[in-house]
Amino acid sequence: MIMSEKSKQHVDSCRFCWMCHHICPVGNATGQERNTARARALGISLVNREAIDLSEIMDNIFECCTCGACVHDCVTGWDPVMFTKETRLQGALEGKLPEYIMTLVTNCLECGNAYGKTELCEKLCASIGAHADKKDTLLFLGVDARYMACEQADKAIKVLEKAGIDFSVLENEPASGVQLDFLIGAAGETKAQMEECAKVLSQYKTVVVYDPNDAKAIKQLYKEYGIEVAANVVTYTSFVAGLLKNGALSAKNCGKCVVFQDPYQLSRDLGETEEAREIVRAYANLEEMLLNRAETVWAGNILMAQYMPDTVKRVAKRRIFNAQSIGKNAIVTACVSEYVSLKNASEDVEILSIEDLILG
Amino acid sequence: MQYQMNEFLFAMILTELEDAVGKENCSTRAIDKVTHSVDYYWLSRMWADRGCRMPEADFVVCPENAQEVSKVVKIANYYKLPVTTWGAGGGTQGGAIPVAGGIILDTKRMNKIYDVNTEGMYIECGTGAIYKHIEWAANEVGKATMHYPSSLTCSTVGGFLAHRGIGVVSTKYGKIDDMVLKMEVVLPNGDIIETSPAPKHAAGPDLNQIFIGSEGTLGIITKAQLRIYDQPEERRFRGFLFQDMSGAFKASRELLQKFKPSVMRLYDEAETASLIKKIVGVERKGAFMNVAIEGVKELVEVEEKILLETFKKYGAEDLGSEYGEKWWKEKITFFYPGHMMDIPQMFGTMDTIAPYDKIEEIYWAMKKAIETNFPQAKFIAHFSHWYEWGAMLYDRFIIEGKDVPQDPVEALRLHQAVWSCGVRAALAHGGVVNDHHGVGIKLGRLMKEQYGPAMQVFEGLKKTLDPNGIMNPFKLGL
Repeated sequence: MIMSEKSKQHVDSCRFCWMCHHICPVGNATGQERNTARARALGISLVNREAIDLSEIMDNIFECCTCGACVHDCVTGWDPVMFTKETRLQGALEGKLPEYIMTLVTNCLECGNAYGKTELCEKLCASIGAHADKKDTLLFLGVDARYMACEQADKAIKVLEKAGIDFSVLENEPASGVQLDFLIGAAGETKAQMEECAKVLSQYKTVVVYDPNDAKAIKQLYKEYGIEVAANVVTYTSFVAGLLKNGALSAKNCGKCVVFQDPYQLSRDLGETEEAREIVRAYANLEEMLLNRAETVWAGNILMAQYMPDTVKRVAKRRIFNAQSIGKNAIVTACVSEYVSLKNASEDVEILSIEDLILG
Repeated sequence: MQYQMNEFLFAMILTELEDAVGKENCSTRAIDKVTHSVDYYWLSRMWADRGCRMPEADFVVCPENAQEVSKVVKIANYYKLPVTTWGAGGGTQGGAIPVAGGIILDTKRMNKIYDVNTEGMYIECGTGAIYKHIEWAANEVGKATMHYPSSLTCSTVGGFLAHRGIGVVSTKYGKIDDMVLKMEVVLPNGDIIETSPAPKHAAGPDLNQIFIGSEGTLGIITKAQLRIYDQPEERRFRGFLFQDMSGAFKASRELLQKFKPSVMRLYDEAETASLIKKIVGVERKGAFMNVAIEGVKELVEVEEKILLETFKKYGAEDLGSEYGEKWWKEKITFFYPGHMMDIPQMFGTMDTIAPYDKIEEIYWAMKKAIETNFPQAKFIAHFSHWYEWGAMLYDRFIIEGKDVPQDPVEALRLHQAVWSCGVRAALAHGGVVNDHHGVGIKLGRLMKEQYGPAMQVFEGLKKTLDPNGIMNPFKLGL
C-alpha cells in the first residue's frame, strides 16, 4: 500500500501499543477490539506486509471518528488519525471503498453534502433570504446544520439577529470540504472543494463559522492543504462570547444546572475551551463532567450515523451516562452534529444548544 | 477440536453463536480475527512483524453478560470448540491467543459499572471494564482503586484477575487478589456461580483464589466486586542510594516489620547506573531505591521518620524527593512507544518472587545464566513489590535487533531458549515461574518443573470442571 514514510512509522509503533485502549469513544461504546488505534495500525501494517488485503480492513478504517482522543493521549506523539485518513485515501485510489462510503463520497461530489440533499427547509430558506445582501460579516452554517438540523441553523441566525449584527448568509453556501476530508482524506477532490470554499469566504472581512467541524477545517486543515482564506475566520462560540462581553447580548441566568459537552474540534484542535463556557455560565449553572475540555469524549455525529447509526447512538448514550453519573440532567453542546446525536440517544436528559440557552 | 470443520458445520455453529449473543456481536471478519490474534506477547508481535498471520479464531463473540457467556460455552462444549477469553489483549504471556482456533470470547461488552459503593468500599463491575474506567468511577466519588500497573489503561478487570496482576503501590495495598471481594464466574459447563459473599472466610477454600490466575482455563470471570480506598491525604517520596543490594534488602526487611510503604523500588547496579546520573548529575555506583509512603498525614510523618532512621542504619544516602515525584507523574510514560523496548529488539520480563533468604541469590543466578548463555543479551532488574517476608524480582533481558534472527522460527527458538534458561535459574534457586504477568502459552511448559506432583491438583480441577478441555487450551501448562 502506498503510504507516507511518516505514517508507516506511526503505524509500526501503534500496532503493538495498547496505551490509548481506554480512550476511544467508539471502542468504549462498542466493546470491539477492532475499534482501537492499535487494531487499525495492526491491520494496516499487515496490509503493508501483504498478509491481508486492504479491502478486508476498510470497514474498520471507517469506524474511526477521527476525534483525535488517541492522538491527544499519546505521550510519544503518534498520530493514528493521520494514518487512518491516509488509508482512506488509499482505499479511494485503489477503488476499495465500501459501497456505503462510496455513496456518501458521490453525494459530496454531486451535491456538496454527504446526504445528497439539495433543498433547504422552508423556514430556513426564509431566514437565509433575510440575509441575502452582502455584508462584511458572513455566517457560515455548514451542511450538517443546513440540511440535517435546520431548526438549529435557524436559531444560529436568530442569535446574531438578537445581538443586532449585520451579517450575510449564503443561499448557495459552498461545502467546506470537511466531509470529503473525513471520507477520502487529502484527495484532489477534497482540495478542490476547499479551494472553492476559500475563494467565497475570502470575499468577506469576517466569517463566523457555526459548525466546529467546519471551523476546524477552515482554520486548521486549509493551512495543511496550503489554502489561504483572506477573511478573519472565527468560531461561532467565540463570536457569541464576544457579543456577551461587549453587551450586544444580555444574559439572564435561568438557574438550570447543566454540563457542557466540549466539541473536540474546538477543545483539542483549535484550543478553544472557555468561550462556550462563558456563554453557558451567563445563562445557566455550569458543572463539569468527567473528561472535559481537551480530554473531551466525542458524542457522535450525523455523518457517521448514516452508515453506523447504532454505534453512534451507543457513543452518545455513553456520554450521556457521564453527565448522569454526576447527577446532571441537562447537557449543553456547541456542535450541531453532537446536538443531533445526543438528542437521538437521550431519553431522560435534556439536550440543549448554545442557541437554545440564549434564545430561551 | 476432533474434526475438520466443514462449511456447512461452520455456518450452523455461526447461527447458534449469533443466536446467543446477537448477530452484531459475533464476527468472522478478517479484521476481528487478526486483531484477536496478536496480543502483547513478544512472539505474536514478532510473528506479525515478519508479515505472518498468527493462529486465528474461527469466531469472535462479544457477550454482554454471564447469561450470554453461558450460552456460548454450552455451544462450544457441544461442538468441542476451544474458547479463548480475551480482555483487552495487553497480556505479555500469550494467554489470550487462540492458538487452537475455535472461539475468541471478548469480554469488553461486559463493561458495566453496576455499583460504586462507598459504604461497602467496593465497586461492582463487569470484568470487561478497562481498569482505568473503574479508577475514574472511584475518583468521581473521591476514592481510588489503588491498582496502578503500567497497563492500567490497556487492560480489563478480568485480565488483571485472570493473570493475578499487581500495581505500583502494591506493598501497601496488595495485589489484585487482595482487592477482590467476590466474583461471578461462568463454569465451562455453562453454570453461573458466585464465589462467596465475602472473602477471608472459613467456609472452605477460597473460591476466588481458584479462579484468580487461572487464565480462562477453568471458567470465565464475568463480574467482580473490587475494593476502593480513601485517597491518601499525603503521599511522600524519598530516594536512597545503597552501597549494594544486600544492604537494601536488609534495610527493607527491617522497615517492613514496622510499617508498609506504598511504593518500594530497588534497582540493580545496571539500572542504577542509568538512573543515578539523571538524579544527582554524576555517575555513582550502588543500588538506588525509591520509596513512597502515604495515608493520613500524621502517620506519614511518623513513617517518614522511621524510614529515614532505618535506612540510615544500613548506610543509605538520602537523595531527597525530586526523583520519586517525577517518577510518579511519569510512571506510565515509560511504556509508550519510543520510551519502551520494541521490535526489532527481543525482550522479556521474567518476574519472579521469593523470600528474603533466596531473592538476592535468585537475582545473581538469573543474571549469570542469561549473561553466560546469551552474551548478546543485556540483563537489568529491579525489585518493586515487597512483603514482610520477601520481594519480587522484575528482571529483563534485552537483545538488540541486530542480534535477533530475521527468520521468525529462528527468532522463536532463541526467545524460547532465553526464557527457559532464565526461569529455570529462578526455579533452581527457590523462585517461581512468574510473579504477576501469568503463564500463558509462553511458560506453560515450565509449570510442571515448578510444581512437580502438585500439578495434579490443577490438572484435577481442569479435568473436573472442563472435561472436554475447551477452555483456553495449551495455556498454563494444562
